[in-house]
Formats: sequence, C-alpha cells, structure tokens
Amino acid sequence: MLIQVENLTHIYSQGTPFEHVALREVNLEIAAGERVGILGPTGSGKSTLVQLLAGLFKPTSGRVLLEGESIHGKEATARRLRLQVGLAFQYPEDQIFEQTVFREIAFGLRNLNLRRTEIEARVNWALEMVGLNPAAVAQRMPFALSGGERRRVALASILAMHPRVLILDEPTAGQDSQGRRALLENVGRWQRETGMTLIIVSHALEDLAVLVERVIALKEGRVVADGPARQVLSDAPLLLDIGLDVPEPVALLQALRQAGKNVRVDCFLPAEAAAEIARAWGLQEIVS
Amino acid sequence: MRPFIEIEDLEYAYPLEGGDQIVALRGVNLTIERGEFVALIGPNGSGKSTLAKHLNALLLPTAGRVCIDGLQTSDPGNVGTIRQKVGMVFQNPDNQIVATTVEEDVAFGPENMGIPPEEIRRRVDSALVAVGLSAYRQHPPQMLSGGQKQLVAIAGALATRPSCIVFDEPTSMLDPVGRRQVLNTIRWLNTAEGITILLITHSMSEAAIAQRVLVMEAGRLVMDGAPALVFGQGTRLRALGLDLPPIVDIAQRLRTWGLSLPQTVLTVQDMVDALC
Repeated sequence: MLIQVENLTHIYSQGTPFEHVALREVNLEIAAGERVGILGPTGSGKSTLVQLLAGLFKPTSGRVLLEGESIHGKEATARRLRLQVGLAFQYPEDQIFEQTVFREIAFGLRNLNLRRTEIEARVNWALEMVGLNPAAVAQRMPFALSGGERRRVALASILAMHPRVLILDEPTAGQDSQGRRALLENVGRWQRETGMTLIIVSHALEDLAVLVERVIALKEGRVVADGPARQVLSDAPLLLDIGLDVPEPVALLQALRQAGKNVRVDCFLPAEAAAEIARAWGLQEIVS
Repeated sequence: MRPFIEIEDLEYAYPLEGGDQIVALRGVNLTIERGEFVALIGPNGSGKSTLAKHLNALLLPTAGRVCIDGLQTSDPGNVGTIRQKVGMVFQNPDNQIVATTVEEDVAFGPENMGIPPEEIRRRVDSALVAVGLSAYRQHPPQMLSGGQKQLVAIAGALATRPSCIVFDEPTSMLDPVGRRQVLNTIRWLNTAEGITILLITHSMSEAAIAQRVLVMEAGRLVMDGAPALVFGQGTRLRALGLDLPPIVDIAQRLRTWGLSLPQTVLTVQDMVDALC
C-alpha cells in the first residue's frame, strides 16, 4: 500500500480556549496510481488531512506512512519521503516569487543536486505538461502572464519535482469554465502519462466526477463515506448531511424519481442526465 | 427619473510600461435602473471587473462617461458621494478585513465618512442583523468561516447605506454552505431592501437567479436580457467558452430528443413541473 493513514488525530491550539479538533481517528489507505477525491465543507478537516499527508507538520497523534515509512519520522527519512509528495494549495499562483518562469520552476530542482541539463529538461517537460510552450514563456516574468497561465506555472513547478503523489487543493477555484475544463483535462492526462497517485480536494462535485474513481467524504474531522465516486457523489442524503450541494442533474433525477418516474440518479453531467431522461421517457434522438 | 447607472460609449485602456496600453473596455453602453438585480458573466479577461470598478470611480473612463444617480464619475467633486451610493464586495474575504472585531470592521466605512458615533452604532447593529451575524459582533473576524467573513464584508458595505452593491465573484472562494448564505443575503438585499445589485460570477446557476444577465467578451457587452433569453442562446455562449446552467443544458438536450419544453425552464422545479 502506498499511503497508510493510521488513527490520525489533529488538534489545533490544544489546551487553549481556541482548541479545535480538526481530525479525529482517521484511518485510510490509498494505493499507488489511485485517483481519489476528498470532499467536505469548510472546517471538515480536508486541508489539515492533505497537509499532514504532505508532511508539512506533525499530527497530534497517529501516523502517515508512505510505503511503510513514517512521513513524520526521522528527519532524513521524512525529508526524502516529503519530496515524493507534491501539494498545490488553493490559488497556488499567489506563491510565485521568482523573476522568470524558468527560475520559478527550477527553484525546487536546485535543491536536488541535479545537473544543469537535467534541470532544463525537467523545466521544459513540466511546461509542456501544463500546456505552455517553453520557448515562448520560459524567460518571461510570471507577473506578465494571465491568472490562468500563472496557475499552470505554479503547477508545473510541482510536476517538475516528479512527485509520486500529487495533491491539489481546489484546483479550479476562481477559473472560468474554459479554464476549468482545460485544467481538468491536463490533470487527467498527467495522471495517465506518469501513473502518479492523484488526490484532489474539492467541493466542486462535477470536477471530481470527471477526474476521480474514489471519493472520501469528511465531516467534522471524521471519514463519513469512502467508496466509488459515482456512488458517493450521487448520495443526496449524505451530501446534504455534510452540508454540500447536490449537483443539479442529480437533484433533478431525484425529484423525478420522487414523482414516481423510474430513473437512475447517478448522473452528474447534463449530457448523462438528459440521456437518462430521454431513455425513461422513451424518446428517440433527432439527428439534425 | 434618470436610470441609476448610465454608461455611454465607455472605453478603458490600462497603461503599460513604455507607453503601450491594453484596451480592456470598448464601446460599452449600458443603463441599470434602481432596484434591478443584474448578473454579469464572461470569460476571464473579458473586462467584467474593469467595468465594475468604473461604477464607484475606482477607475475613470479613458473615453466616454459613467454616471451614477446623475453624477459623472470623472468629476472629482462627485467621487465621495458616488462611493457612498455604490458599495463593493470582492472575491477574497481575507483581503477585505481591516479590524480586530466584527463590529469594528463593519464600522470602518461609516467612521471614515465622519458619521456621529450614535448613528454609527445604529448602522452597525442593523447591518449585522441584516446579514445574521449579531451574535458574532465581538468575535475576531479571522475566527469566522469564509462565508461568514464575506457576510462581514457585506455588512461593512451596508453600513455606508448604499443604493447599489457591486459583488465581484463573492462566492468563488466559498464552500456550498457559505455560498448559500451569501446568495440568500444578496437576494434579500434586493427584494426586501430594494438595493440595486450587480453580481459578477463564473457560476451560471448563480447568474440564473438574477432578473437580467449581461455577457461580456473581449471588452464589449455582447448579450443583455432575461436569463431565459440569454441562456436560450446556448451555441453562442459555448462559442464564448461559457457553460449553460446545468438544468438549461439538460432542457436543450431534451429538445433535440424531440421533447417540447418551455424556454423559461431554469431550475430543477421548473423542469419537474414541465416533465410531470
């Protein structure tokens, strides 16, 4: 098993009036190459969980193991393990600080004792992976790029490190629908081409429906559901209970079913829902 | 009476180093009446936020003119009054918090307007009641959820007693609970308080709750009408890189399967009524 989370509990400001239990006794396993979505409202512990998976700080109790070794253990081991996990925060473009796109992406690589030619090759590869032309953008100032391009540069700087596990926190927040679609397609392609393990935190259920095969839902620091994406994302009572919106196509199919129509409810995309209604109503597509 | 917002032949160019410029708005003509609830959509970089910043004189036209309640924004003598009439709420709640308690934060605007303390007290109290945060008046804002912080920003705008509030993607950083709180508050401000609303959003479902939808592309206003009318033009919206609200999308697909559905179908309930 690639990732094992054992009895993970995290308490912020323990022993003060602001004490807050962010995670309670979380246990889960993630296999190499899995595509996992983490779902939950603000305050459910999602961000704490992924930051612990990336080894950014130590949990109050419990362990995170990467191939059997603790990511919070001895410093030399922990450092080697942490390099295998790439975490992109929300709005990762806000963290860009270098003068050129090349230097930004090369920044982390310089700590890996790589040869200059290897650094150049990785920067070019990473730019191509995010759909930017290295020749056109490598020497540009990040601040002269659009917001969407800057986000891709920020993601490229993580991909260049060749992480085995890529964690994205709300990757499509603030993007228009074209930007969203492009980003989701890119992420899907990186995952297929590199076989890396993908963990996506999001409350955009439609985004998860496209990208992941398994969804873990959190509420008040506990895992309340863990199963195939389709099943969890169309479980309206569960979604409402944890304070999330039911996707409109699912809500429509649920309402039709309550009105006595015999329809499936696990269709998140408008095209799927329309096809399901057409089937139940016995319609024939008119080819125009 | 003149419309509340009048925009005529508005052009705006951002100056760049070396004398170049980027034209962000071209030939925009628009009027908005008092009490309207208008949504503004368009791809990133189409000029939505640039247009919004002209409504309270944060930006001034390169050419053309913008009048708020009859006052032209380019006259420096009008700027104070205009900013009192048009409030702004931005995307990131963390960037809009200035004080260490909720009530001090809400009082910030009226304090700067030189309003007497008793009147500030009344305004802060009623603004906090309006957004449902009275119980949090003494809390440090950073202890609140994202949705609650955004409600603090709305209360801050309300305390200056504006006639209009411009919301620039107020929900894009919020979870569904926060989004519902903020949208319900916006709707209430419009229907109960009669405040004119301009809501910039990437969510087509949010735009569908407005009375009128404006669409921008490359600095121009390219569509303007009731939601059913604008979203009825699916092909055109898709060409602009915009999605349809999911229910409108399903309705259009079902029409290609030969089902006859009214153009006014926008919500789950509309669709259930039409189908059952």
